[in-house]
Amino acid sequence: MGFSKQFDTPIEANLRRRVSGGFIVAVLLTLLLGFSSWRGARVAADDADWVAHTYAVMETIELTTKQVIEVETSARTFALTGQELLLAHYETMRGTVTHDQATLRYLTSDNPNEQRLLDVLEPQARAALNLAESMVVKRQQTHISPGAAEILETERLIGAVYATTQEMHAEEMRLLSQRMPKTEAGRRLTSLIIVVGILVGAGLLALARLAINREIDVSARARAQIGILNAGLEERVEQRTAALESEIIERKRAEETLREQAQVLDLAQVFVRDMESRVVFWPRGAEKLYGFNIREALGALSHDLFHTQFPEPLETIEKKLLETGVWEGELIHRKRDGDTIVVSSAWVLHNDNQGRPARVLETDTDITQRKAAEREIQKLNDELEHRVARRTAQLETANKELEAFSYSVSHDLRAPLRHIGGFSKMLVEEFGSTLDPTAQRYLERIQTGTQKMALLVDELLNLARVGRHVLRLQSAELNSIVAEVITMLEPETEGRQVQWIVADLPAVDCDPVLVKQIFQNLLVNALKFSRRRTRAVIEVSCAEREETGQTVFMVRDNGVGFNMKYVDKLFGVFERLHGSDEFEGTGIGLVTVQRIVHKHGGRVWAEGEADKGAAFYFTLGAEKQAEKSESRSNGATAGGQS
Amino acid sequence: MNAGKLDILVVEDNQDDLELAMHALRREKLANNIYVARDGEEGLDFLFCRGAFEHRSFDHPPKLVLLDLKLPKVDGMEVLRQVKSDPRTRTIPVVIMTSSKEERDLVAGYNLGANSYIQKPVDFDQFRETVKSVGLYWLVTNQAPVLEDSRHLAGTAHDPR
Repeated sequence: MGFSKQFDTPIEANLRRRVSGGFIVAVLLTLLLGFSSWRGARVAADDADWVAHTYAVMETIELTTKQVIEVETSARTFALTGQELLLAHYETMRGTVTHDQATLRYLTSDNPNEQRLLDVLEPQARAALNLAESMVVKRQQTHISPGAAEILETERLIGAVYATTQEMHAEEMRLLSQRMPKTEAGRRLTSLIIVVGILVGAGLLALARLAINREIDVSARARAQIGILNAGLEERVEQRTAALESEIIERKRAEETLREQAQVLDLAQVFVRDMESRVVFWPRGAEKLYGFNIREALGALSHDLFHTQFPEPLETIEKKLLETGVWEGELIHRKRDGDTIVVSSAWVLHNDNQGRPARVLETDTDITQRKAAEREIQKLNDELEHRVARRTAQLETANKELEAFSYSVSHDLRAPLRHIGGFSKMLVEEFGSTLDPTAQRYLERIQTGTQKMALLVDELLNLARVGRHVLRLQSAELNSIVAEVITMLEPETEGRQVQWIVADLPAVDCDPVLVKQIFQNLLVNALKFSRRRTRAVIEVSCAEREETGQTVFMVRDNGVGFNMKYVDKLFGVFERLHGSDEFEGTGIGLVTVQRIVHKHGGRVWAEGEADKGAAFYFTLGAEKQAEKSESRSNGATAGGQS
Repeated sequence: MNAGKLDILVVEDNQDDLELAMHALRREKLANNIYVARDGEEGLDFLFCRGAFEHRSFDHPPKLVLLDLKLPKVDGMEVLRQVKSDPRTRTIPVVIMTSSKEERDLVAGYNLGANSYIQKPVDFDQFRETVKSVGLYWLVTNQAPVLEDSRHLAGTAHDPR
């Protein structure tokens, strides 16, 4: 118990105290009960003894009285009759009386009242006996019968004895009447104590039962709880066991991995050296790369072994390694067979347990061939770049020259042309009448030539300007552009029958100024080469090209057309498929168209047949134009409202 | 009438162009009051009444300056810049007449405040038509600003002519 107490919670200690208290109370109660019963029994027995004693005393008193009377009576009767038989009886009784009187004195020795009465009784009894004796003796000797006086005396003595014995009897009765209720009360108390004791004992038992029941409940609950805890514990044990098992599996796997890694490491082109560069680990991979076997390599100074050439001073490298823990770079190493290789080298610093640098792991990859290839590529790149630079410079020069040329054409070439034209015109106007017709005709030729050249110069300038023009892309309604161009060309259709067939064209992201130039040049051409038709039909339309998602625009006429044999010449500068007598022109218009189309990232081509007509096709960029038309028209609406 | 004495200042170095232009102006009877400067410097001296022209007054600016761009000494753009950045000469109409149709010249010219930019047509008929319309517009149609200060000065300063 004492051992278990040290595990008690405060609640259990309290309970234990209460149980102990109850136990002590129960023991005390039981002892008290036992003692009371025992004592009750003792008192009852004593009382009973005393009662019995009283009865014995009373009996002896009566006996004594009776014997005295019998002695007197027998003595008197003998004296009167002289019968010997009575005399014997008288003798017997006389001895008994004396004996009983002694017994009575003994029995009542505890009672002074009775002793006093006995003191009275004994002389009376003696007196009576003495009288009886005297009468007996007198008879025997004289045979004379007692007289009346003697008999009266006898009666008087016996009466006195009787009275005294009655008094003694009354005394005993009084004692008895005193002792009887006392005995009864003692018995009743004893019974009460026993009943109360039984009740209290039963109550304590009931309390004990309650307490025990409660204890049983508590311990049942505790057991249930312990059961739950045990289940939880078991589960945890199982889990832990499972975890340990998987850990063991993991560890085994890790060991396996380590073994594999060790095998791989053995194949890796790495080695480890200490801080003095002495090789301390030399796997087969390193041997394979450098040719040195493990006996030759271990302990050797690695930089000496490989005749290492560093990209920067070794001190710098080692400083970096110590500072950052790593170094990467390219090294040139000499192998065992004397060949040099370029390696991409990665150094990793390993510290010992105290954190001091202890080892360097060097991983080398042979990049000799790669370096060679890189050098080759570099060389080619350099060459290419050089060529590109040269070409670019040439082109830039050419471009500048062209720019300078066009400027000088515009500024310098046009001026003299204007002068020739101007002065020849003034000559005609002011002196025409004085010149002969041949001179006039020559002047007219000068005029025509000047005009042709002016046109040529303007178109060349235009072409140059298109080339330098920076694209300004915006949404443009192609139908309105075409309509504008057709309106512009109206004067040239005078006196001719021309049918324009213009389809619905989409809105397109383009440079409208340049695209207008395209339509202008193409429609001018169409009009020009259909001049001989009584009814010229010029068609503008477009079509979706499914494979590229592009919109292809088309301008077609029913003019003189061309032989497809010469289609390549169409887009060459100054190239013409018709004599200038037949159709005027400079051969620059289509080149301009091509340049504009190319600037938009598109393509232009032509189809034709001699005497049947020609068709020109072009695209504007690779984008899907149809989709753009939607957003564009919205934008145009918004712009129009603002 | 003194105020009408000078109508046009032509700044032009090319003799041929000048002669063609004068021919056209004469035909339209616009060549009576013309002064011709043969380079940019002379044009500036004339307009700013200095050097050989110090006797001239700002009170009598030309009604029109026809300015070529490619000029000896000081080029046309510089002449334009100086004229348009000086309050005394800013209101004089300057029309650039040049062979160049270079966009950069055009933009630069208008940025500096040119009143008009005209490319000389190669065709002589067109040239004459252009000169005629420019002359008529600036000398006849256009309403020149009234210079209050100039008038006031005109009353006090002595005109040497």
